[in-house]
Amino acid sequence: MKTFFKILLVFSLASAAHAKEIKLLNVSYDPTRELYTEYNAAFAKYWKAKSGDDVIVSQSHGGSGKQAQSVINGLEADVVTLALAYDIDAISQEAKLLPADWQNRLPNNSTPYTSTIVFLVRKGNPKNIKDWDDVVKPGVTVVVPNPKTSGGARWAYLAAYAYALETHGHDDAKAKDFITKLYKNVPILDSGARGSTITFAQRGIGDVLLAWENEAHLALKEFGADKFEIVTPPLSILAEPPVAVVDKNAKRHGTTEVATAYLNYLYSDEGQEIAARNFYRPRNETIAAKYAANFTQLKLVTIDQEFGGWTKAQQIHFADGGIFDRIFQPQK
Amino acid sequence: MKLNENTKLNRTLLAVLAGAQFAFTAFADDGAATNSVTAAPVEVPAYSADAATANPAEAAEITALKKEVQALEQKVSALEQQHAPEQPSAQVQDLDQKVRILERQRELDQEAAASAAKAQPRLTVGANGATFSSADTNFSISLHGWVQVDSRTFGNDDHVQGNDSILLRRARPILSGTLYRDFDFLFAPEFGNATPGAASAATTPSIYDAYMNYHYSPAFQVQAGRFKPPVGLEYLQQDIYSSFNERSLATDLIPGRDLGFELHGDVFGGVLSYAAGIFNGVGDNQRNTTDTSFQDDREFDGRLFVQPFKTSGIAALQNLGVGVGGSWGRSSITNTLDLPNTTGGTLPGFSTDGQQQFFAYNPATGGVVANGTHWRFSPQGYYYYGPFGLLGEYVISDQGVENTVSLATADLKNTAWEISGGWVLTGEDASYTGVTPRHPFDPGNGGWGAWQLVARYAELNVDSAAFPVFSNPATSASAAQAWSLGLNWYLNRNIRVNASYSRTTFTGGGTTTATTAPNAVSSHPEDVFFTRVQLAF
Repeated sequence: MKTFFKILLVFSLASAAHAKEIKLLNVSYDPTRELYTEYNAAFAKYWKAKSGDDVIVSQSHGGSGKQAQSVINGLEADVVTLALAYDIDAISQEAKLLPADWQNRLPNNSTPYTSTIVFLVRKGNPKNIKDWDDVVKPGVTVVVPNPKTSGGARWAYLAAYAYALETHGHDDAKAKDFITKLYKNVPILDSGARGSTITFAQRGIGDVLLAWENEAHLALKEFGADKFEIVTPPLSILAEPPVAVVDKNAKRHGTTEVATAYLNYLYSDEGQEIAARNFYRPRNETIAAKYAANFTQLKLVTIDQEFGGWTKAQQIHFADGGIFDRIFQPQK
Repeated sequence: MKLNENTKLNRTLLAVLAGAQFAFTAFADDGAATNSVTAAPVEVPAYSADAATANPAEAAEITALKKEVQALEQKVSALEQQHAPEQPSAQVQDLDQKVRILERQRELDQEAAASAAKAQPRLTVGANGATFSSADTNFSISLHGWVQVDSRTFGNDDHVQGNDSILLRRARPILSGTLYRDFDFLFAPEFGNATPGAASAATTPSIYDAYMNYHYSPAFQVQAGRFKPPVGLEYLQQDIYSSFNERSLATDLIPGRDLGFELHGDVFGGVLSYAAGIFNGVGDNQRNTTDTSFQDDREFDGRLFVQPFKTSGIAALQNLGVGVGGSWGRSSITNTLDLPNTTGGTLPGFSTDGQQQFFAYNPATGGVVANGTHWRFSPQGYYYYGPFGLLGEYVISDQGVENTVSLATADLKNTAWEISGGWVLTGEDASYTGVTPRHPFDPGNGGWGAWQLVARYAELNVDSAAFPVFSNPATSASAAQAWSLGLNWYLNRNIRVNASYSRTTFTGGGTTTATTAPNAVSSHPEDVFFTRVQLAF
């Protein structure tokens, strides 16, 4: 009998000792598919070497606001890598899945890379679009996703609004007029950035796509540089897509350690290189210099400077009954 | 030489004419092809036989041909211009964009409709009952039900009337579900034989299970309400999956459903299951039917069960499980309900497979109450591999008792054990949670369900110190031994038909002239033939 129990113990210990397979769910916004496909493979390799455990990271993508709502409604993300801080704030406030000060936990306000909003136009730039003023001209068809559901769309909206404020002496009425003209040129609203890229590039709709910088580069790669051109306006907005561990979900899954390491590794040299290769502006200055040719220099305003932060911007512009609701009329 | 030169000239002219003809044909066939037909200049190569050197007739011919070529060139040029690609007008471009936008909008509307459909509540109906759930499955309500129609036919029942019967053994609608993703609940009233062996309560509705369970994770769950305490392996197996109509003698020493709180969970992917709880405390084979505790002290129940090879991938060992369950409690002297039976008659107690009482704490002088500690210890295990299944359990129930007249006390150690095995004749896998037929009953298509042969042996031994101060040896047996053989037919996952035979023999016991239990039951071996038709969904 004793022998039996010894054998049992050995088998139990042996089964407990073998390498673990850890599963993570990264809930992200629309255009990061390619970035995280490459990054997940690199991180899995790194973690295997470090801990001996296998990590399988599943990705979920969609409009940033929609993704945040899904997490609030129970999608069990271990980490979120969304388009803007407000969406992660919403997860913190509405579902209490992570603390309110989540943004202080990682460097650079938990934003390991940045981006901006640029114009993607058809080859030869037939409408001669060079700056935001050209986008609001009558007869120009603009493609941009819905700011109610897409983080990129909110950045695009604010970039245009910031341009109007900057060029009209911060006259809010003129800025509203400008943004109204802009959305008069928008015939259709996709729910996310990837959908808008499909609308513009695949379905052949519109003269200009207001796009994430990385998404515009990806469109060139995907659909051909002979078909489209990127136009970088002289002024745009510094888009800061943040990342965070969803504490309660990770704790519940027993993945807190690996989820934290997953986000920290975004700041590593390899993580920053992968971001740069995917046309996200890296925080690491050395790597940013190495990939400088990928990123046109322009004036970048910040949301804090122009709009007083995300909470205020959300309330004024995108909340129900906000400016966007008042100025946008779906075309019939 | 001249001939050669003329031949060359003619060939050149023919080439020009052919080119012109090709150009005409190309335009005529497909306007789109004009893009690929370039307006190549038609050159007449410099040849030596020009008009100046040729004879007049040839010179005239050459001049005429030249004019003809030039005329053809002009025609080609005119045709090319006529068929040159044109930029669509602004109006056409505008219309094209509108069509594209409408098409895309339709596409987006369809996507939105599909997305909205995903957000709709779901209704599923199948072998596992009916379930309504929210789209995100955080909320769900399921309706299940069990009905068991049994027959018991006794061989030697001359002395106890009414044993042979057809009865509604269980009739249980079960409502279960989940709220806010993490909170489960189950509510199961019993409309059938609410108290086994109790004829008077046969149709009394009673709440069997009513509990809520918070599952923070598979490893950490907290349950509260009325449910089975975590002690006996056979008892914890759901009624609809038991090999026989009735559980064995070993379960006579296990606590029945009780009210309490339990912490439980599965760790290491289910390799280890644990449960520990605090309950009101009930007697052996009793269930707590009241909402108040009948003793001041509580009973602590717990169980550890390990399936060491569950995740190993070794099929032959994956369904090997061993464990231990136990309880500890203290009963006050005023307590009579913590004993299985003190009066004899129809109340549950130590009963046979035929649910007849063969032992009671009913001495000739005085009554008996539980007094002092009551602990149980139950090593247990099962093994399933392919169609073969084996389940075994040993139970010690150690209980302090007191005679209310003589005030004599004793610490009685009753023991029981059972081993049961089965073989699915049709080859399906046996398991702790039943058998799923490979070919559900459908004679027209050659489906006959699954057939399983089952056998069991069990014993229960009452502490000899129980006699005669705490139990009358003239009426109660001091031990029982039972063997059973059965055949189970699983028509499908929901319908099952059983037939089995059990024989229970006794050590000691009553006289043959007695007419009431336990005297009448223990006076001679019990032979009983069972059948059951079961519906469970």
